Amino acid sequence: MIGALRRRRAARRWEPRADAPAWRVMLVTIAAVAVAALVVTWVFVAYGVAPGEAWATIVRRTLLEPRGLSETVRKAIPLLLAGIGLLLAFRARFWNIGAEGQILAGAIGATAVALFTELPGPLVVPAMFLAGMLAGAAWGAVPALLKARMGVNEIITTLMFNYIALYLVRWLINGPWKARSATGFSYSERFPAEAVLPTLGATRLHWPTLAIALVLVAVVALLLARSRFGFEVEVLGRSPEAARYAGIDAGRVTLLLAALAAGAAGLAGVGEVAGIHRRLVEPTQLSLGYGYAAILVALLARGKALAVVPAALFLGFVFAAGDVMRVSLRLPSQLPDVVTGLVLLLVVASEPLTRGRWVRRDPAEAATAPAAEAPVAPPAAATAGAPAGGAAHASPDGEG
Amino acid sequence: MKHAARLALALALLLPLGFGSAQRALEDLKIAFLYVGPVGDYGFSYAHDLGRQALVERFPGLETTFVESVPEAEVEPFVDQLIADGHNVIIGTSFGFGDGLLAAAERYPDVIFGHATGIERAPNVFTFMADFWQVYYLNGLVAGALSETGTIGYVAAFPIPEVKRHINAFAIGAREVDPDAVVEVRWLYAWFDPAGAQEATQALMSEGADVFAFTEDTPTVIQVAATRGFPSFSHYASMLPFSPETVASGQLVNWEAILIDVVEKILDGTYTADNLADVDYFWGLGEGSVEAGAEPGMLINPVYEAQLRAEVLDHPEFGEISVYELVERRLEQMSTLPPEFEPFTGPLRDRQGNLVYADGVSATIDELLGMEWAAENVRGPWDGEP
Amino acid sequence: MDIDVLVVATIARALAFATPLLWAALGEVIAERSGVVNLGVEGMMALGAVTGFAVAFTTGDVWWGLAAAGLAGMLGSLLHAFVAITLRADAYVSGLSLTMLGLGLSALIGRAWVGRPLPDPMRTIDVPWLRELPLLGPMLFQGQYVLTYAALLAAVVAWAMLFHTRGGLVLRSVGENPTAVDAAGLHVRPVRYAAVLIGGLLAGIGGGYLSLAYRPSWGEGMVNGLGWIALALAIFAMWHPLRVIVAGLLFGACFTLAFRLQTVFPPELLTMLPYVFTVLALVFTAWRRGRLAFGAPEALGRAYLRGER
Repeated sequence: MIGALRRRRAARRWEPRADAPAWRVMLVTIAAVAVAALVVTWVFVAYGVAPGEAWATIVRRTLLEPRGLSETVRKAIPLLLAGIGLLLAFRARFWNIGAEGQILAGAIGATAVALFTELPGPLVVPAMFLAGMLAGAAWGAVPALLKARMGVNEIITTLMFNYIALYLVRWLINGPWKARSATGFSYSERFPAEAVLPTLGATRLHWPTLAIALVLVAVVALLLARSRFGFEVEVLGRSPEAARYAGIDAGRVTLLLAALAAGAAGLAGVGEVAGIHRRLVEPTQLSLGYGYAAILVALLARGKALAVVPAALFLGFVFAAGDVMRVSLRLPSQLPDVVTGLVLLLVVASEPLTRGRWVRRDPAEAATAPAAEAPVAPPAAATAGAPAGGAAHASPDGEG
Repeated sequence: MKHAARLALALALLLPLGFGSAQRALEDLKIAFLYVGPVGDYGFSYAHDLGRQALVERFPGLETTFVESVPEAEVEPFVDQLIADGHNVIIGTSFGFGDGLLAAAERYPDVIFGHATGIERAPNVFTFMADFWQVYYLNGLVAGALSETGTIGYVAAFPIPEVKRHINAFAIGAREVDPDAVVEVRWLYAWFDPAGAQEATQALMSEGADVFAFTEDTPTVIQVAATRGFPSFSHYASMLPFSPETVASGQLVNWEAILIDVVEKILDGTYTADNLADVDYFWGLGEGSVEAGAEPGMLINPVYEAQLRAEVLDHPEFGEISVYELVERRLEQMSTLPPEFEPFTGPLRDRQGNLVYADGVSATIDELLGMEWAAENVRGPWDGEP
Repeated sequence: MDIDVLVVATIARALAFATPLLWAALGEVIAERSGVVNLGVEGMMALGAVTGFAVAFTTGDVWWGLAAAGLAGMLGSLLHAFVAITLRADAYVSGLSLTMLGLGLSALIGRAWVGRPLPDPMRTIDVPWLRELPLLGPMLFQGQYVLTYAALLAAVVAWAMLFHTRGGLVLRSVGENPTAVDAAGLHVRPVRYAAVLIGGLLAGIGGGYLSLAYRPSWGEGMVNGLGWIALALAIFAMWHPLRVIVAGLLFGACFTLAFRLQTVFPPELLTMLPYVFTVLALVFTAWRRGRLAFGAPEALGRAYLRGER
């Protein structure tokens, strides 16, 4: 059986390139989206919906009508905030999948300020954002601390912290923070008027959160490109060993990044409660999986801070289009999830094409190529394990 | 109903202008329903959709549509789309839809909105509720008779007044048949949690429970109880197919009773988008919006009929009576309008010994809606107990 | 309740609850040991659950259903394998997309099967002779499903295969140092494909357990996060099949205790118990073993490309 695995030499090989030209990335991405659109068109036909009309409805309802467009952008706000944070964390190989919980923590922080402090009116909203950010950061800092100090795997801890945050919110709205006004249903009291975010005109676009998100993206982009901190993140992301040689305190950087990332997700939570719900609500209603979708945003942005904006808007559009499908086009409510999954698979599958090309194998190289560089890992290596810093990692840049 | 139509006709003849213009034709109505869960939840949203289907059956040609699994935050944009598509009556079926519906109602003053389980109304927003408290009481009578251990298990979603009222009504019924019966409650803190419902039922079995009721959106409790042959009760929709031998009775809802009334009144011009601020339905057995039974038309599963007929007690009101007959008598009493019997009638004490209702005093609707206390024979944790 | 009754019931229920977690986590351990992370477990379990139910309902035979469930999980994982191994796209995004796709697709397929009970579901068994044992009998050998014992057996087999056969050595080496495996003249990708497909098969079986045995019916959202828990357990078990059993049972015990201890502790806090406990157990393990506790496969999550390091 092992013998069957002996390899044949291929005539062509893949030549990876670290920095693909922008036009190439654009082209491949557009091609992938076009293929995805074709697949969706086929789905329309399969369900007996006229594809031309369906697309027209989707474009009109999500991009052309002001209210529809505002909703598309609104859906992108939490994705932007949580996404830019996760991008930072992933750059340093901190596999935070706890943005959902950090959004909830941020919402708890904002609610505490909105309902239980006596601040003067104009200070309430800034204080809510601050509290939400700190609450989110604290929620994310615990797994980061556990990882930095004890090597505890952050994938599990952040995931578990999502559940803990979920039950924490449930406990609050069923227990100490439960409203007296809602015939006993599980909600907090409504926020006072000064704790509700202003919206753009007659839409539900809570622009302060959007503004914060865009500023944050710009700051992160600058930070990564121009600062000592950006350099440290870069080195740590490439190789923990290199970081050690460069005198970088990996634990400190990880902790800082994780807290920043979680703080950004916390801000997203503030936006959801103060902009949309205006009270603390059932956690699965509070964030509609934005923390998980933001993982996709960060990964699709490929480590480039500014790319988070189009990635978040794209996902916002995909979600909004899914809503049009099930509301206006009367397609089964489960279909949008299928479509979203397919579209994302196509986009991610196309991504390697931006990173290299096939070249004809040089016969001389083919003969000598990959010489034995290291012996097959001894069985002990698998159990004795990697250094703590090396737990489940992968660079969002692909092969570093 | 016929009477109302005749009255409308008379008025229309008297006032040829003015009044008649409020009438609307069936073809003009386009009703959209927003459900909180998937229609296939086999619970709350499933029951609402059965109501929608029955409504269409009653008014052939009536155009309706539904959107399932609607998140609270998306109600407003969904309503935008539905109205843009020509709908002029929007029915939301979850308490959490209230904010979205009211906000949309303000922007679309000509559209009629209905909000199930809601409390806030507006000129173009009415609220409605079909409540189970009387039915739970009837099921409690059955449970009290069927339990051999005297411990009845109850798997509950959230400790909110609606659920507490149902547990209490159930416990009061059980106690009427068996003064020593206790209702042991376990909480899921979720409306939908099949694994939790499974393990909670198993935990209750370990505690000696041998009859099961629940408030949760899956038939899990029925299936788990059936593995040991223990009787249980359908919730919301008929769950008899999941265990034909052990579903003793249950709580069934007929949302169409309310919906038909609403559509009739819209058609005859009684309801318009300007006069709904006081329209609030809180309907029970008498109005036919709820029903007791393992499935529609089967009050008690024949499997248990003999046992319930054999169980005879000395009842303070009816004297010597079998449990089967007691259920039938109580059902009759509660099916009149107004009901001749109210389960929450004193003397009633809470489980801390406080007198909640003195002899002969009954709960008002507001007291039912805000119920927080626990009945005397309820066991287990109870958030927000006064 | 008596303490011995509590212990017996808790362990018995932990086994039943943890069975799907064991299957799925075991599959993930095998996939990740070969260096391919698959975040699509939740989706594959859902696909397995709905397919298994549909086939069992149609054929009237739960075992056909179970086979179909495994196959459905495998098909899902094939998609992931193609995108992450052949196309070398990001394994994390691919897995997440698979979860979305799997949940959506299963719900879509399942529309026809909602609200139907399975006429002939999987039966629980009492193990002859062993069931008579005091304490151990009711704890382990009464009223469980065959799939539970099969999961335990599968863990042992996976352990033996991974750590005591040459094939297992190759699989682990591919996850640790694919370049070296390649240099030694072995193909990396077929090994990774095999590992990911086995992972999908086991996740599908885990899903099948849910819809054929644990709660014989289909409902949208019926996997309800168990796939994510399985992912966490694979890491919690430090990618070791035998430790998966321990991790799964601990989690299962916490889950069922959350309902058994409601009379003693506030229930809304107890619902957090399994998750808090998992974190605490990890911290405790890390504290006892020092910083070198977690042996993640060195090349986990990285696509392999020859000539690139």
